Amino acid sequence: MTQSLPLVLGIETSCDETAVGIVSGRKLLANVIASSVNEHERFGGVVPEIASRAHLEAVWPAIARATNEAKVSLDDLDAIAVTAGPGLVGALLVGVSAANGLALALDKPLYGVNHLASHVAVDLLTHDKTVGPAIALLVSGGHSSILKLDSLAGSYEQLGRTLDDAAGEAFDKIARLLGLGFPGGPLIDSEAKSGRAEIDFPRGMTAAKDQADHRFDFSFSGLKTAVSRYVKATPEYQRANVAASFQEAVVDVLTMKSIDACKESGIETLLIGGGVAANSRLREMAEDRAAKAGLELRIPPASLCTDNGAMVAALGAELLRQGVKPSDLGIAVDSSASVSVVSF
Amino acid sequence: MTTLVIDTATSRTSVGLFDGAVPLFAGRHDGATEHGEALPPLVSGALDLGRPITQVLVGMGPGPFTGLRVGITFAEVFARAKGVSWSGICSLDGIVSGIKGEYIVATDARRKEIYWAKFDSGKRITEPKVSLPEEVRAMGLPVYGEGASKYGFEADIDMIYPHPLFMLAALEWADGVHQPMYLRKPDAVPTSER
Ligand SMILES: [Zn+2]
Repeated sequence: MTQSLPLVLGIETSCDETAVGIVSGRKLLANVIASSVNEHERFGGVVPEIASRAHLEAVWPAIARATNEAKVSLDDLDAIAVTAGPGLVGALLVGVSAANGLALALDKPLYGVNHLASHVAVDLLTHDKTVGPAIALLVSGGHSSILKLDSLAGSYEQLGRTLDDAAGEAFDKIARLLGLGFPGGPLIDSEAKSGRAEIDFPRGMTAAKDQADHRFDFSFSGLKTAVSRYVKATPEYQRANVAASFQEAVVDVLTMKSIDACKESGIETLLIGGGVAANSRLREMAEDRAAKAGLELRIPPASLCTDNGAMVAALGAELLRQGVKPSDLGIAVDSSASVSVVSF
Repeated sequence: MTTLVIDTATSRTSVGLFDGAVPLFAGRHDGATEHGEALPPLVSGALDLGRPITQVLVGMGPGPFTGLRVGITFAEVFARAKGVSWSGICSLDGIVSGIKGEYIVATDARRKEIYWAKFDSGKRITEPKVSLPEEVRAMGLPVYGEGASKYGFEADIDMIYPHPLFMLAALEWADGVHQPMYLRKPDAVPTSER
């Protein structure tokens, strides 16, 4: 029975979420997330040391809560999975150390997995079709990439990435500029609902030359400067309109480039993951454009888009099912891990 | 009573296994940024002896944050998953043994500073602090530990890093420590003060 439905616990601590998930095969049993986001608010961004201290405090309680919610005992687990990169080194190390402690105490195999591949793997939990080939747009405060994958545990290629800020960081910075607070994503999303996207802000990396050299790359720094200039030059600006116009510029480029990536590679499935995938305008525009292009669009529910342990567990279960060799003792965390390495 | 002892508060990763006070296993790895990779194989080596662990003891620092958390996180999760008790002590308490009179034990806090505390004949008599070596130098006491050799104190003994044997012995007299001893605040400036 465990052969077909491996019970796997996944730990994710690559940024400011201490998250533990448990899956049985492709079934989600628990998804516990403790976030230190409030502690970072007055700094306007995630402070790595504050995040790492919070992970240490939160990781065991999250494990205990997840086993409670899933109604399983640790001894029932078939494997442990943990994010080993990319992410903040000190933060990753807490999760990996906790995972090592669990694996050695319980004498279970351990999979160190790639954070980006986990964002894709979460798709396993939302339906029962195969995952891949697909184009994946992963957008959050820590990453903004377009990936091409043939299968979940197969080969991944990064087609594009951000050349400066991650999309989520751009949301944070503009939210701060507009006095909305932190984290910026949800605040701008709700502010934009009462505004009109009537200001024509620049779309980064879409000029003819950039389309040649950086076909699937992003850049948000020019946009940030443009918004900041606009706000300074327009004392009576309408905040909701600025938020809506900024959001429109980001979402326009994200969806356009991902759809172009599908068309160019002849792939008919577009997956969107990462915290920014919770953005309502991104969902709306992606649905609209994917439908027009005849693509299948998959966006997990918001609770599985932001960093979570269920996605890590889902990838671990898939690796176990496919008979992939577990990681060796003493996984080295890799803050800038390439997506071509799915498990470490 | 079989005790697993772990410390990652200095540049050394140390693991020991004891049956009562009798050492069964001792392993170590030197490398200031390698605690995460070094600890699991060391513990695995201790577990290979096949003794059921009944308690876990871990050094809670003071120590550079990232490495320190490796040992503490591992020890807590390992013990809780096994359903055995775990306790923490100040890592400085497990470095020096058998010295009479007053002395200082110091470890490297980086940024040209040391973590240190004052001891009297084997027992710690001050709370750990982090400061410039000059503050300690002015006290005119012998200084031992990793922070001594690095900052030019005369250290004529080879007790430099937390040792599982001394840590276990310290469990007899030392106060339990329940929180990591960071002794420094995270480097971060609130946006309102920029
Ligand atoms: Zn992420």
